[in-house]
Amino acid sequence: MEGLAIKILGAVITTIVAFAVGMTYGGITRKLTARVQNRVGPTIFQNFIDLLKLQSKKTNIYHGVMGHFAPMWIITAAITVLMFIPVLHPGTAWYNSWFPNLSFHGDLIFLLYMMVFGSLGMALGAGQTGNPNSAIGVTRGLSQMVGFEIPFVLALVALMVQYQTTSIQDIMTVQRESGVWMMFSNPFSFLAALFASLGMFRYSPFDIVGAPAELASGPVSEFGGKYLGTMMSGGSIFAFIKLTLYVDLFLGGAYSIPELLIKTFALYMIPVFYGWVNPRYRTEQAIRYFWGWPTALGVIGLLIAIF
Amino acid sequence: MNTLALILLILFSGAIVAFLSEKVSKFLPSLIAFISITAAGILFYTSPADVFNFKLSMAGLNFTLKIDEFSRLFVHMIIGLSWLASMYAVGYMQNKERQGTFFFNMLLSIGGMLGIVAARDLVSFFVFWEIMTWSSFLIVVWTGADFRRTGIWYMVFSAMGAYAMLMAIMMIYSDIHTFNIDEIIAAIAEQRLPHLVEASVLLLFGFSVKAALMPLHVWAPNAYTQAPAAYTAIFSGVLSKMGIFGMALVLLSMLKFANPADFSLVYINGFIGQILAWLGAITAAIATLYALIQTDAKKLLAYSSVAQLGYITIGIAIGTPLSVMASLFLAVLHALFKGTLFLAMGAVERQAGTTDMTKISGLIRRMPWTFFVTLVSIISLAGVPPLAGFVGKWMLYEALITNGNVFMVVVVFFSSTAAFLYSYRILFGIFLGQEEDDTAHVKEAPLSMILPMVVMALLLIALGTYPGLLFDPIAQGMTVLGFENVTWQMTVLSNVWGNTVNLMYISTTIGVAFVAALLFLTLKGRKGSRNVGTKDISTSGEIPLEHENLTYQLDFFKPFERAASPLYRRKMTKIYDDLSNGLDALFDFTRKIYTGNGQTYALYVVIFLVALLIYVQNTL
Repeated sequence: MEGLAIKILGAVITTIVAFAVGMTYGGITRKLTARVQNRVGPTIFQNFIDLLKLQSKKTNIYHGVMGHFAPMWIITAAITVLMFIPVLHPGTAWYNSWFPNLSFHGDLIFLLYMMVFGSLGMALGAGQTGNPNSAIGVTRGLSQMVGFEIPFVLALVALMVQYQTTSIQDIMTVQRESGVWMMFSNPFSFLAALFASLGMFRYSPFDIVGAPAELASGPVSEFGGKYLGTMMSGGSIFAFIKLTLYVDLFLGGAYSIPELLIKTFALYMIPVFYGWVNPRYRTEQAIRYFWGWPTALGVIGLLIAIF
Repeated sequence: MNTLALILLILFSGAIVAFLSEKVSKFLPSLIAFISITAAGILFYTSPADVFNFKLSMAGLNFTLKIDEFSRLFVHMIIGLSWLASMYAVGYMQNKERQGTFFFNMLLSIGGMLGIVAARDLVSFFVFWEIMTWSSFLIVVWTGADFRRTGIWYMVFSAMGAYAMLMAIMMIYSDIHTFNIDEIIAAIAEQRLPHLVEASVLLLFGFSVKAALMPLHVWAPNAYTQAPAAYTAIFSGVLSKMGIFGMALVLLSMLKFANPADFSLVYINGFIGQILAWLGAITAAIATLYALIQTDAKKLLAYSSVAQLGYITIGIAIGTPLSVMASLFLAVLHALFKGTLFLAMGAVERQAGTTDMTKISGLIRRMPWTFFVTLVSIISLAGVPPLAGFVGKWMLYEALITNGNVFMVVVVFFSSTAAFLYSYRILFGIFLGQEEDDTAHVKEAPLSMILPMVVMALLLIALGTYPGLLFDPIAQGMTVLGFENVTWQMTVLSNVWGNTVNLMYISTTIGVAFVAALLFLTLKGRKGSRNVGTKDISTSGEIPLEHENLTYQLDFFKPFERAASPLYRRKMTKIYDDLSNGLDALFDFTRKIYTGNGQTYALYVVIFLVALLIYVQNTL
């Protein structure tokens, strides 16, 4: 019973850390982007302020049952995936005391599918609002997903086949025992996955889903108040999840929170930097982008892995 | 009397009674069909397992029917889905003309399918196969719409498949003089069947037609679309699985014993399996691409069925325990979710008049139950946890990865991801988007139609956490196919590398998180909640007028289509059309020679004689 209590406490702490880190990274990005564009920009805690404002709105617009469920699906998916990803190396002191979670009961294939769960809910909610921009945004998002999933899956399959496992923990263990990060032992797969991450984070040039000034923020355009706030929280947790997944798979995982923060932040800046110097793609350009070099790199990585 | 024979007799005589009873009342055939299937089902489930044995000698042939554990899995599917679909059909077919013909053929094809899975000799197998094909053909052309593209395609391909099978059966008979499947398997094991490979390929060809495998799939989309929804559920749900049943028979029971020494080039079983698996993967990918550009919901589902059958074929063709289990699991699931989806689209068609997604939108408030079952089946189809589809997808991926078919995994993954696109398309196209005045009168379908769909949706939810309920009969069936020690657990999936997924943890985590979020979002600021309709929106600052409908329906995935344009360039139907045009030209040319005119033939005789004379002269 005590073990279960600690696990639940650990789950809550994991969630809070993920949420705080994701929100702060978002804030830092806003600040940095502003400075690059020669603006003053908001404080790095602006996202928390925004969230506080959204959650304290007195009136909320109810768009129907799917619109009501959509934010729940997002936050549910975010928390569930978080529970199945090892935030730190299992077995280390930090992990045992603060982050015991369920990662060994799910594997990579499960994660791939679970990460879609939230997007599907979002898509349905956006559909019910009746806003045409929302539906357009959703179709763009889904199309882009077919784009970047290909190099991503190629990279993951390469890892899975080479190390004969589908579990994240085993892949982390391989890196711990050999001392070589996957980004060095499987560079092509890492590059393919890295390119895929550009699409996952939806910064420019892949911000076709929200597409400011074109789709008026797309799927979320009709949401406000507590709904938007919940979506924002879910999105922040998801940002943390994706970064942690990449750190676990390719950057050798992390043994302590500071290490995790350094690695995730470094990874996070790649799509952000890439976005600063790129305008927005059209949808088909974005898809073609992922089916070009990233896929070729993924195939090379996979060929190396099986031979 | 023999129970198995009695079940078949009930179905076939029910068919005739249903046909005749139309004269009495329009309502009667549907009721008789429902009662016959119910009776057959009760008989099947109340009898002990060992009574399903039937032998008949006639005209020097021995007909043997027997339901073993593997057939039993398919019988569950046939009887279960047919029963639900016939319950649904009572309401669905109400007020339609020529119901007698419809239910006559429906019962015939159900009886035919039961005969196929029970057949233990190739003659009865073939007879029941043809009963099934012909009755389903008559239902496909029942509406009479678009006969040329639907009926003829279906008939031509079915006939090709049937001839291939007949040839294979004759080859086998000329080799070992028996039709009995058990004796054939024994003969293969003793290497007494020289034409094994040819016969297997021909049989697989016949089964591939029914399973709508590329490039033999062109009949399927139209046939699935044209048949009435109550039957399409059976057609796509179980009738197409007869192809899978046959493939399992050939690949797993017969070819397993092929002697590798006979074929110096490659180990034939693995080779045929690989080709078939790749065909399945390509079918899945291409059919998915075509599904997502459809604007008719039923046609979209038809293409999606072709794609799903591709996955199922892969599993059978790879032939490892996990892949076969995945395949059979997916086969049952496909019957459940595609059955539900076709029934749901039938309900939409009946209530709103069309399934064309460019014409209707925003039905979620009008038909909430239909939306609910569609949503559950779509989530299962897409393979998103925690519903049952994930279990099947997971096993298939793991089977392919652990087996080293890495590039096939990527193709399968591509088609599954692209399947999200059409999954969303169908949910959005019919149920979401702005509500229209034209559909304001639409009401939810009657209870007798909702109930079967809800039953299947609940099964999909339950199997998502407790797939063991289904692993049990599958594992028993696989034992018959020759897999030893098939292991399974109620809520835990595992692959050969020892990696596991615990569905109980997943469902619990999702459940806890979802309930917490639900309570938070529902209770928080409940008083300040303002309900709005779908027209009360702002698009870039503008508010649409009452009569304006802004739902995005046309060219839904145009950007994706543009990106994937090379994959859309070639169409199999065009290739067949070209082939038939070429044959036309050839026959026209032949007709120029064989004119049927006596004088032309006389001229040929003269020319021949002259040529002969010249030849003889020269040689002398």
